[in-house]
Amino acid sequence: MKKVVGTKVKRLDAYEKVTGKAIYGDDINLPKMLHAAVRHADIPAGKILKIDTTKAKNLKGVVSVLLHDDIPTVKKVGPIRRDHNVIVKDSVHFIGDVIAIVAAETLETARKAADLIEIEYEEEQGIFDPREALKPESKLIHPEYKSNLVVHYPLRKGNVEEAFEKAESSDDEIIFERDYKTPYQEHAAIEPEVVIAEPNHQVKGVDVYGSIQNPFTTRKVVSIFTDLKLNQVNIIGSTMGGSFGGKDDIINVMACRAVALSLATNRPVKLAYTREQAMKEGYKRHPYFLNYKLAVNKNGKIKAMKINIVADSGAYSSQSFFVTWRSVVQATGPYEIENVQTDIKAAYTNKPYTAAFRGFGSPQIIFAQESMMDELANELGLTPYEIRKINGFKQGSKTASGQALTEHKVSLMEVIDIALEKADYHNKLKEFEKYNKTSRRFKKGIGFSCSYRGSSLGAEGVDTTSAIVSVQADGSSYIMTGLNENGQGLRTTYAMVVAETLGCTMEDIQFLTSQTANIADGGPTVASRGTIAGGNAVKDACDKIKANIFSVIKETFNVTEMTELVWADNKITNPQTKQEINFADAVQMTLNEGINTSAYGWWKSPDVSWDKETGQGNAYFTYVYGCQVAETQVDTSTGKIDMLNMVAAHDLGRVINRTGAEGQVYGGVAQGIGYGLLENYSVQNGIVKSENFDEYLLPTIKDIPNIDAILVENPDKYGPYGAKSLGEPTLELGAAAINNSVKFALKKKYNANPLTLERVFLGKDLVKKVRQSEVVSKERCEVPNINSKSNSETVPEKTTDRVSDINITVAKTLKEALEIMSNKKHWIISGGTDVIVQLRKEKYHKELLDISQIKELKITNEIDGNIVIGSACTFSSLIDNELIQKHYPLFIDGISLIGSTQIRSRATIGGNLVNAAPCADSVPSLFVYDASVKIESTEGSKIVKLSDFILGSYKNILGENEILTQIIIPIPKDKKYYRYFFKLGRRNALNITRMSIATMMSFDDNNKIDEVYIMPGSVFAKFQRLTNLEEFLVGKEFTTDLIEKVIALLDEKLESEIGGRWSSPYKIPVFKNMLRDALLTILEEK
Amino acid sequence: MNKITININGEERTLEVKSNLRLLDLIREDLALTGTKEGCGVGECGACTVIMNGEAVNSCLVMATQADGATIETVENLEKSAPELQESFVEHGAIQCGFCTPGMLMSAKALLDKVPNPSDMQIKTALEGNMCRCTGYIPIMKSVKEASKKIKK
Repeated sequence: MKKVVGTKVKRLDAYEKVTGKAIYGDDINLPKMLHAAVRHADIPAGKILKIDTTKAKNLKGVVSVLLHDDIPTVKKVGPIRRDHNVIVKDSVHFIGDVIAIVAAETLETARKAADLIEIEYEEEQGIFDPREALKPESKLIHPEYKSNLVVHYPLRKGNVEEAFEKAESSDDEIIFERDYKTPYQEHAAIEPEVVIAEPNHQVKGVDVYGSIQNPFTTRKVVSIFTDLKLNQVNIIGSTMGGSFGGKDDIINVMACRAVALSLATNRPVKLAYTREQAMKEGYKRHPYFLNYKLAVNKNGKIKAMKINIVADSGAYSSQSFFVTWRSVVQATGPYEIENVQTDIKAAYTNKPYTAAFRGFGSPQIIFAQESMMDELANELGLTPYEIRKINGFKQGSKTASGQALTEHKVSLMEVIDIALEKADYHNKLKEFEKYNKTSRRFKKGIGFSCSYRGSSLGAEGVDTTSAIVSVQADGSSYIMTGLNENGQGLRTTYAMVVAETLGCTMEDIQFLTSQTANIADGGPTVASRGTIAGGNAVKDACDKIKANIFSVIKETFNVTEMTELVWADNKITNPQTKQEINFADAVQMTLNEGINTSAYGWWKSPDVSWDKETGQGNAYFTYVYGCQVAETQVDTSTGKIDMLNMVAAHDLGRVINRTGAEGQVYGGVAQGIGYGLLENYSVQNGIVKSENFDEYLLPTIKDIPNIDAILVENPDKYGPYGAKSLGEPTLELGAAAINNSVKFALKKKYNANPLTLERVFLGKDLVKKVRQSEVVSKERCEVPNINSKSNSETVPEKTTDRVSDINITVAKTLKEALEIMSNKKHWIISGGTDVIVQLRKEKYHKELLDISQIKELKITNEIDGNIVIGSACTFSSLIDNELIQKHYPLFIDGISLIGSTQIRSRATIGGNLVNAAPCADSVPSLFVYDASVKIESTEGSKIVKLSDFILGSYKNILGENEILTQIIIPIPKDKKYYRYFFKLGRRNALNITRMSIATMMSFDDNNKIDEVYIMPGSVFAKFQRLTNLEEFLVGKEFTTDLIEKVIALLDEKLESEIGGRWSSPYKIPVFKNMLRDALLTILEEK
Repeated sequence: MNKITININGEERTLEVKSNLRLLDLIREDLALTGTKEGCGVGECGACTVIMNGEAVNSCLVMATQADGATIETVENLEKSAPELQESFVEHGAIQCGFCTPGMLMSAKALLDKVPNPSDMQIKTALEGNMCRCTGYIPIMKSVKEASKKIKK
């Protein structure tokens, strides 16, 4: 008999996704559809004095421009508190507020119209820290609520004050206190947000399509906003390009805007966001400030825990009511503590608002509490394992909210033991300790974290969901559910539940995308409840169908009880008599009797409870347990952390689809690594600095180590086939485990994530400057705009990044290109990887000259002892070029690390040099090899040293009519050169170089230094070789003493040239380390 | 407007394109091949990856005008050119939301066309410009590796 549950099954929606046939929101184009654009605020806080839409409305192709007052119905929405204006009226609460919406015949027209809307503001000082916001004297962000406090949840168990008093007077107990801070985190689903609204004349309402996580929530919000009844709004979700909690509230307000425009124009309207807009307006994970104070017996038993947390709700309350509630329930972690006092408050600020994100209030508290447990163990002379064993939940333990854990298997220590064994944790502790004693530069660490987590919504709200299973006469079936496929694989899981329950095969089951109009409200697809809630509803429907079929076939089988028959492999069998009926025949028999073989499934959660005053109650009906172990390697020279391995053990009750479950673990762990190491959504004074994925760093494939996914099964009585939850716990543990691992490696503690280079190296983050492309754009704009068609005063700022007003001329020969340049200044475009990024921000008209198809600029040759490279050669072509490989390995080292494979396929060496970014990766090694460049115009040509070509950051000597045509590199002498190239970036691919070093050395017959080249990248304002250091080294014997002497020389130079910069507290010591590492590596190799 | 001729998925097409049209827009809008996705518009996510003249490129960072004379392959062609790769993605759970999948497949295809038996590091380098937020990359690595074995046979 073939079991389905627990096996590896291919996704139901896999075929359309590998063929490009799946239809995502932005792939939908309806007849007569208009395109919408929004006009975001230009300031983070203030009053709107005047809005002038005249120019926008007069633009040809614009069909509708709507402001707040143009919407006749309700304007504010929100899940609990309706404080969120879909279009703001007269005050701006954050930089992502929308002031106007536009619909036009084309997307470009809509966006241009948004640019043309003129707004006058009276800017006010914003509040950017929630602790500041809670001070009584602080300005009210939403005056109508009389306070900046959004919500306060208290929890009181036992008597904390008494326990602290006792601890203070006892020699056996200590008081232990720690502060932690966690950052914003962006969902960064690879699909940006998109909605399409279309009038539905049949119901005198609207249909809405798009990337919608929770269709029933969207329906409710649109209904409130428009005054339409629920049955006049139909939400039809498209294939979802990832959500992770992120396509809820933002999509709801976007849907309202698209609907408003659609109703105003009586046409379909698509509103699609660029990444920048999604990053700016979309909500994030709440930043938390956490204070933990403990009374602990010296034997390790925690007697009391007092927790104070302030959460940053941003401009709106949104889901803060729910997110912080989960935090208050789980804030102690999975530890049994007699006396607990927790207070969590969320407050408004003038920043992007915060709401649901996979984990939902748990990654923050776990980062704090699990980091703290390791620090506490250290303080008491215990191991991290011992402290958890002493305090961890056991069967029957009582949680902070007084709930006795008796209804499910409490598997905390089981998952910890399994994870630690798989990671070989106890041996590695010793092994790494030993390694770290002898390793100069790299230190290894191992650490873990554990958690418990309530499944589904708990006492947060009504916890129900719906499903329809419809079995057809031939035995095939349809499933529809009230929960939504967001990419997590819910369709496949549900089909497996149907296959298992009815005994039919997966191939005979189709999942139909539900619309809100054809199924009962199934609640939101959140809280890792897809399997436990939806799976139960599907099973409920199947059980009803099964009962109907059984009522007919039991006579044929001559049995009385359902349990006497086996339903599997498309057959129903009596194992006693071996009698069997095909499933399809049984269905037909049932239908012939006039009995229904379709059913509505419904699930309501078991009872839960909560007392708002005391924070006591049975918060969730069941819990899951997890443990993750992180192995790291830290480069103490730079603070860069590399992941070596992750082990993730999760008790999920029961596995339904093993492929899907493992996928949840891998994906969640990767997001946890991002949260721990890389992801830092930066908002400075209310202005979003992390506008796109060049500034907001997601882990790449090179940043994720091996992940061991261990699925621990303790079936739960409330779950379908015993299954509970998995999606969120996989994300919540990583950052804390990594922090503990790094703490072990460095013997230093860190109280905030992510563990950026500066944080690890200096113990704090440095305030960043504006992003690189802004600098570029600004500098470009300062050049007189001779190409500008119109007077610069009349060109409005670009409010949506896009390539808009350009003209491209293509040159097929160099001669043609030079002639074009002699007549009129053009921006030269070749690979386009810098130029197109800059064009997206460029507001003036640009004339471009494409030189990417000029064959003579794509050739590399050996001429007279030089290698001559055409400036339009791509980096990929140079990496593959045997001449380059043979003569310039240091150059290959550098350019191999530029961007990504796709970038290197297009980016050219000429472009990299002309752009002259301080972080240009081709430059350092070309300086070492003493390269020159050839510059040509119709007037002639000249060859100049590269060091004379680049004048400084983004500056070169190129005249308006000139083109850089060749790079000329002398072939090095035929002798042994030692080389070392190191590029420092925050991650392992797609890096913007923080600093780099290119070094090359040779030695004479007496073993003295003969030649030496030391070339930093991204350190000084102007590219320069460190010639004074080189001169100092030449002719000397190469020893560690000499290296230290040259480092001292470097120190002087760095202090005098870059000493005062914001970044120098990090850059100076780290670059010294980089030089030391370079020279020591060569010394060792020698 | 510029006139260009491209070979798209084996078919020669001559089109009039606006100067500000990116290759990505040409593919999605003018040619209605919506399998290619836009995730960031600045070459950081790789969702728009197509194969242009044998190389994986971000189609958001190529102007349509620049593609004149180019041979372009998009995800829509893979049932013809790399079914093993598609099957391997399905088999090993390399797909969740699927939005990065077309770009991921095209980067993998470009690699396997050049290096039939890639090392783990070569696979990682080929996919370093493709962000996936769902799968943690582990099943994707495995899929490409297993596909390379099948294609060899």
